[in-house]
Amino acid sequence: MVQVDLEVRGEEGSKMEIDIKKQTDNELIFIVDGVDVPFINAIRRICMMEIPKMAIEDVDIIRNDSTLFDEVLAHRLGLIPITSSTASESIIFASECDCGGHCPKCSASFILKEKGPKVVYSKDLKPEDPDIKPVYDTVPILRLKKNEEVELAAIAQLGIGLEHAKWEPTTACAYKYYPKITVDDNCDSCGMCAEECPRGVLELKKDKIIVVDAENCSMCGTCMRICPTGAIDVGGEEGKFIFRIETDGSLSPQEILTKACEVLSEKTDRIIEFC
Amino acid sequence: MIPIRCISCGKVVSAYYDEYQKRSEDGENPKEILDDLGITRYCCRRMIIAHVEAW
Repeated sequence: MVQVDLEVRGEEGSKMEIDIKKQTDNELIFIVDGVDVPFINAIRRICMMEIPKMAIEDVDIIRNDSTLFDEVLAHRLGLIPITSSTASESIIFASECDCGGHCPKCSASFILKEKGPKVVYSKDLKPEDPDIKPVYDTVPILRLKKNEEVELAAIAQLGIGLEHAKWEPTTACAYKYYPKITVDDNCDSCGMCAEECPRGVLELKKDKIIVVDAENCSMCGTCMRICPTGAIDVGGEEGKFIFRIETDGSLSPQEILTKACEVLSEKTDRIIEFC
Repeated sequence: MIPIRCISCGKVVSAYYDEYQKRSEDGENPKEILDDLGITRYCCRRMIIAHVEAW
Protein backbone atom coordinates (compact mmCIF):
# COMPACT_ATOMS: atom_id res chain seq x y z
CA MET A 1 0.00 0.00 0.00
CA VAL A 2 2.79 2.39 0.95
CA GLN A 3 4.67 1.56 -2.23
CA VAL A 4 1.70 2.39 -4.42
CA ASP A 5 1.36 5.73 -2.66
CA LEU A 6 4.98 6.58 -3.29
CA GLU A 7 4.70 5.67 -6.96
CA VAL A 8 1.59 7.71 -7.56
CA ARG A 9 2.25 10.78 -5.49
CA GLY A 10 5.99 10.88 -4.98
CA GLU A 11 7.85 10.92 -1.69
CA GLU A 12 5.78 13.70 -0.21
CA GLY A 13 2.59 11.86 -1.07
CA SER A 14 1.26 11.71 2.45
CA LYS A 15 1.85 15.35 3.35
CA MET A 16 -1.32 16.99 4.57
CA GLU A 17 -1.93 20.71 4.78
CA ILE A 18 -4.73 22.37 6.68
CA ASP A 19 -5.77 25.99 6.28
CA ILE A 20 -8.44 27.30 8.66
CA LYS A 21 -10.88 29.64 6.92
CA LYS A 22 -13.38 30.43 9.65
CA GLN A 23 -13.46 29.60 13.32
CA THR A 24 -16.21 30.45 15.79
CA ASP A 25 -17.58 28.82 18.97
CA ASN A 26 -19.67 26.32 17.04
CA GLU A 27 -18.42 26.46 13.48
CA LEU A 28 -15.14 25.53 11.82
CA ILE A 29 -14.39 25.78 8.10
CA PHE A 30 -11.03 24.60 6.84
CA ILE A 31 -9.34 23.58 3.62
CA VAL A 32 -7.49 20.30 3.73
CA ASP A 33 -5.02 19.37 1.01
CA GLY A 34 -3.20 16.13 0.30
CA VAL A 35 -5.77 13.58 1.46
CA ASP A 36 -8.03 11.11 -0.34
CA VAL A 37 -11.82 10.67 -0.24
CA PRO A 38 -11.87 7.52 1.97
CA PHE A 39 -9.83 9.30 4.64
CA ILE A 40 -11.79 12.57 4.73
CA ASN A 41 -15.09 10.70 4.56
CA ALA A 42 -14.04 8.50 7.50
CA ILE A 43 -13.32 11.67 9.50
CA ARG A 44 -16.71 13.12 8.54
CA ARG A 45 -18.60 9.98 9.52
CA ILE A 46 -16.76 9.68 12.85
CA CYS A 47 -17.43 13.37 13.63
CA MET A 48 -21.13 12.76 13.16
CA MET A 49 -21.59 9.30 14.58
CA GLU A 50 -18.88 8.26 17.03
CA ILE A 51 -18.01 11.21 19.26
CA PRO A 52 -19.43 10.73 22.79
CA LYS A 53 -21.55 13.51 24.24
CA MET A 54 -24.23 13.94 26.89
CA ALA A 55 -27.99 13.82 26.28
CA ILE A 56 -30.99 13.18 28.49
CA GLU A 57 -31.80 9.48 28.30
CA ASP A 58 -34.17 8.68 31.18
CA VAL A 59 -36.95 10.90 32.51
CA ASP A 60 -38.92 10.17 35.68
CA ILE A 61 -42.12 12.16 35.34
CA ILE A 62 -43.74 12.75 38.71
CA ARG A 63 -46.36 15.19 37.53
CA ASN A 64 -47.26 16.56 34.11
CA ASP A 65 -50.47 18.60 33.82
CA SER A 66 -49.51 20.18 30.49
CA THR A 67 -51.13 19.38 27.14
CA LEU A 68 -47.93 17.61 26.01
CA PHE A 69 -47.89 13.84 26.43
CA ASP A 70 -45.23 12.44 28.75
CA GLU A 71 -43.38 10.77 25.89
CA VAL A 72 -43.38 13.96 23.80
CA LEU A 73 -42.03 15.86 26.78
CA ALA A 74 -39.29 13.25 27.32
CA HIS A 75 -38.41 13.39 23.61
CA ARG A 76 -38.11 17.17 23.70
CA LEU A 77 -35.85 16.95 26.75
CA GLY A 78 -33.64 14.42 24.97
CA LEU A 79 -33.02 16.78 22.05
CA ILE A 80 -31.81 19.69 24.21
CA PRO A 81 -28.02 19.91 23.77
CA ILE A 82 -26.06 19.61 27.01
CA THR A 83 -22.52 20.89 27.54
CA SER A 84 -20.22 17.88 27.29
CA SER A 85 -16.64 19.19 27.33
CA THR A 86 -15.97 18.15 30.92
CA ALA A 87 -18.51 15.33 30.92
CA SER A 88 -16.89 13.44 28.06
CA GLU A 89 -13.71 13.21 30.20
CA SER A 90 -15.21 12.62 33.64
CA ILE A 91 -18.24 10.47 32.87
CA ILE A 92 -18.14 6.90 31.55
CA PHE A 93 -20.62 5.05 29.35
CA ALA A 94 -23.54 3.51 31.28
CA SER A 95 -22.79 0.16 29.61
CA GLU A 96 -19.25 0.22 31.04
CA CYS A 97 -20.39 1.14 34.57
CA ASP A 98 -20.97 -1.64 37.12
CA CYS A 99 -23.69 0.25 39.04
CA GLY A 100 -26.49 -1.38 37.05
CA GLY A 101 -28.63 1.78 37.04
CA HIS A 102 -27.63 5.41 37.36
CA CYS A 103 -24.76 6.68 39.44
CA PRO A 104 -22.71 9.88 39.43
CA LYS A 105 -19.94 8.04 37.57
CA CYS A 106 -22.09 7.32 34.52
CA SER A 107 -24.82 9.99 34.57
CA ALA A 108 -25.79 13.56 35.41
CA SER A 109 -29.22 14.51 36.67
CA PHE A 110 -31.54 17.48 36.28
CA ILE A 111 -34.62 18.55 38.23
CA LEU A 112 -37.55 20.42 36.70
CA LYS A 113 -40.31 21.75 38.97
CA GLU A 114 -42.49 24.59 37.68
CA LYS A 115 -46.00 25.89 38.16
CA GLY A 116 -48.05 27.74 35.53
CA PRO A 117 -49.04 29.98 33.99
CA LYS A 118 -45.71 30.17 32.15
CA VAL A 119 -43.56 28.77 29.38
CA VAL A 120 -40.92 26.44 30.78
CA TYR A 121 -37.50 27.01 29.20
CA SER A 122 -34.30 24.98 29.21
CA LYS A 123 -32.85 27.43 31.76
CA ASP A 124 -35.45 26.08 34.27
CA LEU A 125 -33.78 22.64 34.14
CA LYS A 126 -31.76 22.65 37.36
CA PRO A 127 -28.53 20.70 36.90
CA GLU A 128 -26.91 18.73 39.68
CA ASP A 129 -23.43 19.48 38.31
CA PRO A 130 -23.02 23.13 37.20
CA ASP A 131 -20.57 22.05 34.45
CA ILE A 132 -23.16 19.81 32.81
CA LYS A 133 -26.07 22.06 31.84
CA PRO A 134 -28.18 22.92 28.77
CA VAL A 135 -26.17 24.84 26.15
CA TYR A 136 -29.01 27.26 25.39
CA ASP A 137 -31.18 28.96 28.03
CA THR A 138 -33.96 29.86 25.62
CA VAL A 139 -35.25 26.50 24.34
CA PRO A 140 -39.00 26.35 25.10
CA ILE A 141 -39.86 22.92 26.55
CA LEU A 142 -43.56 23.16 27.38
CA ARG A 143 -46.32 25.62 28.16
CA LEU A 144 -48.27 25.50 31.43
CA LYS A 145 -51.68 27.08 31.91
CA LYS A 146 -52.91 28.48 35.22
CA ASN A 147 -52.36 26.08 38.16
CA GLU A 148 -50.84 23.40 35.90
CA GLU A 149 -47.67 21.87 37.27
CA VAL A 150 -44.75 19.87 36.00
CA GLU A 151 -42.32 17.93 38.14
CA LEU A 152 -39.69 15.56 36.82
CA ALA A 153 -36.18 14.23 37.19
CA ALA A 154 -34.11 13.79 34.03
CA ILE A 155 -30.97 11.69 33.75
CA ALA A 156 -28.38 12.46 31.09
CA GLN A 157 -25.94 9.82 29.90
CA LEU A 158 -23.02 9.59 27.52
CA GLY A 159 -23.78 8.18 24.08
CA ILE A 160 -22.84 8.27 20.41
CA GLY A 161 -24.76 9.26 17.29
CA LEU A 162 -24.81 5.68 15.99
CA GLU A 163 -27.34 4.87 18.71
CA HIS A 164 -29.58 7.95 18.54
CA ALA A 165 -29.45 11.31 16.74
CA LYS A 166 -29.67 13.19 20.06
CA TRP A 167 -26.05 12.11 20.68
CA GLU A 168 -24.80 13.61 17.41
CA PRO A 169 -22.59 16.55 18.30
CA THR A 170 -22.60 18.01 14.78
CA THR A 171 -25.51 19.65 12.99
CA ALA A 172 -23.88 20.32 9.63
CA CYS A 173 -20.76 18.28 8.94
CA ALA A 174 -19.77 18.03 5.29
CA TYR A 175 -16.98 18.50 2.77
CA LYS A 176 -16.82 19.38 -0.90
CA TYR A 177 -14.07 19.21 -3.49
CA TYR A 178 -12.08 22.41 -3.82
CA PRO A 179 -13.50 23.87 -7.07
CA LYS A 180 -11.17 24.14 -10.04
CA ILE A 181 -12.42 26.48 -12.76
CA THR A 182 -10.47 26.70 -16.02
CA VAL A 183 -11.13 28.95 -19.02
CA ASP A 184 -9.29 27.94 -22.20
CA ASP A 185 -8.38 29.79 -25.43
CA ASN A 186 -11.80 29.16 -27.03
CA CYS A 187 -13.30 31.86 -24.80
CA ASP A 188 -14.72 34.72 -26.87
CA SER A 189 -15.35 36.96 -23.81
CA CYS A 190 -19.12 37.09 -24.28
CA GLY A 191 -19.58 37.25 -20.48
CA MET A 192 -22.60 34.97 -20.43
CA CYS A 193 -21.08 32.68 -17.79
CA ALA A 194 -20.45 35.59 -15.40
CA GLU A 195 -24.02 36.76 -15.91
CA GLU A 196 -25.55 33.31 -15.32
CA CYS A 197 -23.48 32.20 -12.32
CA PRO A 198 -25.89 32.17 -9.35
CA ARG A 199 -23.10 32.69 -6.82
CA GLY A 200 -21.06 35.47 -8.44
CA VAL A 201 -17.96 33.32 -8.82
CA LEU A 202 -17.02 34.68 -12.26
CA GLU A 203 -16.50 38.23 -13.49
CA LEU A 204 -15.78 39.78 -16.88
CA LYS A 205 -12.89 42.19 -16.51
CA LYS A 206 -11.11 43.79 -19.48
CA ASP A 207 -12.53 41.22 -21.93
CA LYS A 208 -11.34 38.34 -19.78
CA ILE A 209 -13.21 35.95 -17.52
CA ILE A 210 -11.74 36.03 -14.04
CA VAL A 211 -12.51 33.66 -11.19
CA VAL A 212 -13.13 35.97 -8.23
CA ASP A 213 -14.45 33.59 -5.56
CA ALA A 214 -13.68 29.95 -6.41
CA GLU A 215 -14.43 28.67 -2.89
CA ASN A 216 -18.03 29.85 -3.16
CA CYS A 217 -18.60 27.77 -6.33
CA SER A 218 -21.17 25.00 -5.82
CA MET A 219 -20.13 23.25 -9.07
CA CYS A 220 -23.65 23.53 -10.46
CA GLY A 221 -22.28 23.69 -14.03
CA THR A 222 -24.54 26.54 -15.20
CA CYS A 223 -21.54 28.36 -16.73
CA MET A 224 -20.53 25.23 -18.66
CA ARG A 225 -24.03 24.79 -20.08
CA ILE A 226 -24.46 28.43 -21.10
CA CYS A 227 -21.02 28.85 -22.72
CA PRO A 228 -21.50 28.89 -26.55
CA THR A 229 -17.89 27.86 -27.25
CA GLY A 230 -17.46 25.31 -24.47
CA ALA A 231 -14.42 27.16 -23.16
CA ILE A 232 -15.13 26.92 -19.43
CA ASP A 233 -14.68 23.81 -17.33
CA VAL A 234 -15.62 23.31 -13.69
CA GLY A 235 -14.27 20.38 -11.71
CA GLY A 236 -12.83 19.44 -8.35
CA GLU A 237 -9.19 19.49 -7.38
CA GLU A 238 -8.02 15.99 -6.59
CA GLY A 239 -7.14 15.55 -2.92
CA LYS A 240 -8.22 19.03 -1.82
CA PHE A 241 -11.42 19.61 0.14
CA ILE A 242 -13.34 22.36 1.91
CA PHE A 243 -14.54 20.86 5.17
CA ARG A 244 -17.18 22.39 7.39
CA ILE A 245 -18.19 21.36 10.91
CA GLU A 246 -21.08 23.04 12.70
CA THR A 247 -21.95 21.81 16.18
CA ASP A 248 -25.02 22.03 18.40
CA GLY A 249 -22.85 23.69 21.07
CA SER A 250 -22.33 20.65 23.29
CA LEU A 251 -18.72 20.30 22.10
CA SER A 252 -16.52 22.71 20.16
CA PRO A 253 -15.72 21.76 16.54
CA GLN A 254 -12.01 21.55 17.40
CA GLU A 255 -12.73 19.02 20.16
CA ILE A 256 -14.87 16.98 17.77
CA LEU A 257 -12.19 16.97 15.08
CA THR A 258 -9.34 15.99 17.41
CA LYS A 259 -11.46 13.25 18.99
CA ALA A 260 -12.44 12.00 15.53
CA CYS A 261 -8.74 11.67 14.66
CA GLU A 262 -8.16 9.71 17.90
CA VAL A 263 -11.08 7.39 17.13
CA LEU A 264 -9.81 6.82 13.59
CA SER A 265 -6.29 5.98 14.73
CA GLU A 266 -7.68 3.59 17.37
CA LYS A 267 -9.66 1.86 14.64
CA THR A 268 -6.65 1.55 12.34
CA ASP A 269 -4.56 0.23 15.26
CA ARG A 270 -7.17 -2.46 15.80
CA ILE A 271 -6.97 -3.49 12.14
CA ILE A 272 -3.17 -3.61 12.27
CA GLU A 273 -3.30 -5.74 15.44
CA PHE A 274 -5.84 -8.07 13.84
CA CYS A 275 -3.72 -8.56 10.75
CA MET B 1 -44.59 24.29 20.62
CA ILE B 2 -41.88 24.70 18.02
CA PRO B 3 -39.75 21.55 17.45
CA ILE B 4 -36.49 21.77 19.43
CA ARG B 5 -34.29 21.13 16.41
CA CYS B 6 -34.46 21.62 12.66
CA ILE B 7 -36.00 18.44 11.28
CA SER B 8 -33.47 18.21 8.43
CA CYS B 9 -30.11 19.26 9.85
CA GLY B 10 -30.52 19.22 13.64
CA LYS B 11 -29.69 22.85 14.39
CA VAL B 12 -31.29 24.00 17.65
CA VAL B 13 -33.71 26.48 16.02
CA SER B 14 -36.14 26.64 18.97
CA ALA B 15 -33.55 28.60 20.98
CA TYR B 16 -33.99 31.55 18.59
CA TYR B 17 -37.76 31.39 18.15
CA ASP B 18 -38.81 33.76 20.93
CA GLU B 19 -36.37 36.42 19.77
CA TYR B 20 -37.49 35.99 16.17
CA GLN B 21 -41.14 36.35 17.13
CA LYS B 22 -40.55 39.41 19.26
CA ARG B 23 -38.51 41.15 16.59
CA SER B 24 -40.91 40.30 13.75
CA GLU B 25 -43.83 41.64 15.82
CA ASP B 26 -41.84 44.85 16.17
CA GLY B 27 -41.92 45.12 12.39
CA GLU B 28 -38.42 43.95 11.46
CA ASN B 29 -37.93 42.21 8.11
CA PRO B 30 -37.96 38.38 8.69
CA LYS B 31 -35.05 37.90 6.28
CA GLU B 32 -32.86 40.31 8.20
CA ILE B 33 -33.74 38.74 11.57
CA LEU B 34 -32.86 35.24 10.33
CA ASP B 35 -29.58 36.44 8.81
CA ASP B 36 -28.74 38.25 12.04
CA LEU B 37 -29.53 35.18 14.17
CA GLY B 38 -27.21 33.06 12.02
CA ILE B 39 -29.96 30.82 10.66
CA THR B 40 -28.53 30.54 7.17
CA ARG B 41 -29.76 27.24 5.72
CA TYR B 42 -33.20 27.09 4.15
CA CYS B 43 -34.11 23.95 6.12
CA CYS B 44 -33.73 25.87 9.39
CA ARG B 45 -35.34 29.04 8.02
CA ARG B 46 -38.52 27.20 7.06
CA MET B 47 -38.76 25.72 10.57
CA ILE B 48 -39.11 29.21 12.01
CA ILE B 49 -41.03 30.94 9.22
CA ALA B 50 -43.59 28.15 8.82
CA HIS B 51 -44.24 27.57 12.51
CA VAL B 52 -47.62 28.55 13.99
CA GLU B 53 -47.97 28.48 17.78
CA ALA B 54 -51.18 26.43 18.09
CA TRP B 55 -51.98 26.55 21.80
